[in-house]
Parts: sequence; C-alpha cells; structure tokens
Amino acid sequence: MADDPEDLPHFNLFSEEFSRCPQAVYREMRAACPVTRAAITESLVLSRYEDVAWALRHPEIFSSAMDLQVALGTERPMIPQQIDPPAQTRYRKLLDPHFSRRKMEALIPSIRANANALIDTFIDAGECEFDEAFAIPLPCTAFLDLLGLPQEDLALFLELKDGIIRPQKAQPDLDFEGAQRVRVESGRRIYRYFERIIEERLREKTPREDLLSSILSAEIDGEKLISTEILDICFLLLLAGLDTVTATLGCNIAYLAANPDQRRRILEHPELLPGAVEELMRWETPVTAVPRLVKREVEVGGTVIAEGELVTLLIGAANTDESHFPEADRVDFERERNIHMAFGAGPHRCLGSHLARMELCAAMEEWHRRIPEYHIKSGETPRYSPGIREVLYLPLVWER
Amino acid sequence: MIALARVRVDAEKCVGHGRCYVLAPEVFEEDERGHCIVIEEDVSEALADEARKGERNCPEGAIRLER
Repeated sequence: MADDPEDLPHFNLFSEEFSRCPQAVYREMRAACPVTRAAITESLVLSRYEDVAWALRHPEIFSSAMDLQVALGTERPMIPQQIDPPAQTRYRKLLDPHFSRRKMEALIPSIRANANALIDTFIDAGECEFDEAFAIPLPCTAFLDLLGLPQEDLALFLELKDGIIRPQKAQPDLDFEGAQRVRVESGRRIYRYFERIIEERLREKTPREDLLSSILSAEIDGEKLISTEILDICFLLLLAGLDTVTATLGCNIAYLAANPDQRRRILEHPELLPGAVEELMRWETPVTAVPRLVKREVEVGGTVIAEGELVTLLIGAANTDESHFPEADRVDFERERNIHMAFGAGPHRCLGSHLARMELCAAMEEWHRRIPEYHIKSGETPRYSPGIREVLYLPLVWER
Repeated sequence: MIALARVRVDAEKCVGHGRCYVLAPEVFEEDERGHCIVIEEDVSEALADEARKGERNCPEGAIRLER
C-alpha cells in the first residue's frame, strides 16, 4: 500500500543551520523516504535526483504556474517562470536568443570592469564584508547593463528587490502581514518604474541595442508583446537575476576561504575555474529548491501525491545524490560527469544560466587576480540566510 | 576518415543548458536559442572523446553516441 502523506517525516528547510550546511540534511532526507514534508510550509519534498529531474521535466503534472501560491508582490504571473508550456514555449522562443551564450559574452568586459571598480573601493583596507561590498552590487550592475538602464539606479534596484525578497532586511521587526504589505508596495513601485522606462523607450525614434529595446521590438509569430507582458518579464528578470548570483558568489567565496587547498588549486591552475564554478554550483546549490503545484494525482516512490499539493523540489539534495554523482561529498573541480541541476532542468531551465555562468567565472577570476590570498576574519562565522543561501555576513581579510 | 561513432541529439529533450558546446566545441555548437546543434555527426577517435564529454555532461540526456 502507498504511504499516507500525513505520516511523512518532517524536515526544517528554513533554519539558518540548514542553510549553513544543508548537505548532511539532504543525505538524511534521501535516505528517509522518497517523499518527505517540509516543516513550517508543510509542502511535500522530493529529494532524490531521479524524482526531482522527472518532476522538472513534467510541468503538466508539476506546474510552475503558481503566482497565487508564492507571495512575491506580483499582480500577474511572472513571465516565463510562472507560466507552463505550451504558452511558456512562445516566450522562451522570443527570450532565449537574447540570453544565449554568444549574446552574453558581450557583457563580460563590463562585468570585469564593474568587478574591478568594486574591488578598488576596499582592496587597500585589507578586509571587507563580502556580501555588502561585492556579492550584492556586482550582479545588480550587470543587470542594469544588460537591460540598458542607468547605473545611477543601482541603489533604487537594491531597495526594490530587497522589498520583495527580504522585507525584513530594512525593517527587522516586520511580522508576516507587514512583510506582505512591503512586498506589495515594492511590487507596485517595480511595475511603475518599468512602465515609465518602457514608455520612454517606445517614444525613442532610434531603437537602442540593449535587451529592453530588443524585447520591445521582438515578434513571436508576427505579434509583438503587449506592455503587461513586458512588465511581467522585467519583474522576473529583476527578482531572478540578482539574488541568485549574489548567493552563488557568496557560497563560492565562503567555500574557497574555508578550503585554502582548493583555492590554491584554482590559483595554480586557472584553467580549472569553469569546472570549479560548475562543481561549486553542484555542491553549494545556492537556490536549494524550487516550488511546484501538483496538477493531477501522481505517485512518487510509493507515495500518492494529491492534486493541489505544493511540492518542493529539493535541487540541492538531488545534486548531492550518490546515485548520480560518485563520491558526491567530495568537491572535485575536475569531476568527469557533472549533470547538476542548479539551473533547473526541463522547459523551465534558468533563462539566465549562460549569463550567470560567465558572470561567476569573470567575477571569480578578477577577484583571485587581485586578492589571491584571503580568509575568514578570525573569530567570525559566516551567516547564511534561510531560503536562497545568500551569505549575509562574510567578513574576509587579506594582506594589504 | 574512419568514423568511430555517430553523434545524435534529441531536439525534443534539449533545453539549452549548453554544456555540450562549452565542453566540446569541435563537435557541438549553439543555435540561435542556445540549443545544441551537432557540427560533426561522424566522429573519429579524437573527436569521439570530445563528443562523449558532451554526452556525459548533458543534464537532459539528450545526446547519444551510436557506434
């Protein structure tokens, strides 16, 4: 008989402790049973590689169209993440070419320049708090360049995306309702900001060469996008493109600061860096999980999951599953086969994955060129946020 | 040239991770959307190793080497 979903073991995926070192919990979850439950949200959790991969490839059962379930201050689904195929395919056909590896390469020189400009501001101090000084601003400057927005809007963007993702950052005393109010208000401001920019662009006689202008003039099957569609794309780019890279930079540098032998391998063999970025994406999996909504009853490993259930696909657990990664607990920059799903899998594969990979490589290359030897300030412990594993506090020191 | 293997990509499965054309640029390239195109369908020994890298690192299992 199939297990009763009510009796499943619970795991807390939202603690600071889990975020600091989730790999041991992942192992326990994979061993417990194929389907577990998350404490607090009570969503079901899939943690084995095979199950997570299967779910990601079957959006008709495990739907990503859940704008009503995930409260992020949006008024409509974000495009294309919160829309499933076949409608999603239409958007991906339009957007994918603008996020291809070839296109993203053009952004790399400015990313390197932005990284160096940031490093200039603190290198002589011999120390920095990595999140605030580097990991947060760098992806944001890249985002502004990509869309063709002025760098002067950096502070505004950081405020708006924090208003959605971490309302408690500016106001630590907020309760859930208070946080929700901040989200909705920040959402409105994001819509208004992009509405104004889009109107300005549409008035311009000669189109610019940036992403926003490309999306404005692009056509799918002879039709242009309408302005709400463009707004819903911009909203997603803002929410998906900033924190994820911030968290990954933090996780990577925190790992390398704590593991000097691995760091020196990269310094001595710079050609290992792309492999190191892939392996750290696998091991750290900063975006630990993605949510899905079950559209029709389905059985996973003997557990029947009912229609309407919320399911957490624990990508971090899948990425450390021995059945797909031999010696999964060993961080190996030369791993011969690395089929991690840190950027998801199936039709919702991260639209920005090519940009993210190149941005991470460029940023880490510049960092290590300028600051090859660094470590965590003695007596201090890095602090990881629950949810997306941003290293909120990462005090680093180096020889001046 | 004696072909050792034939490289096949299942376009239905490919979603554009791009691992293949990064790891084995002599065998694979990207189309406009960043999905995989096979440049060298029939590969001899040296390229077969490259092709295998692409095959083994495709998260979607979209690449096959036929002998």
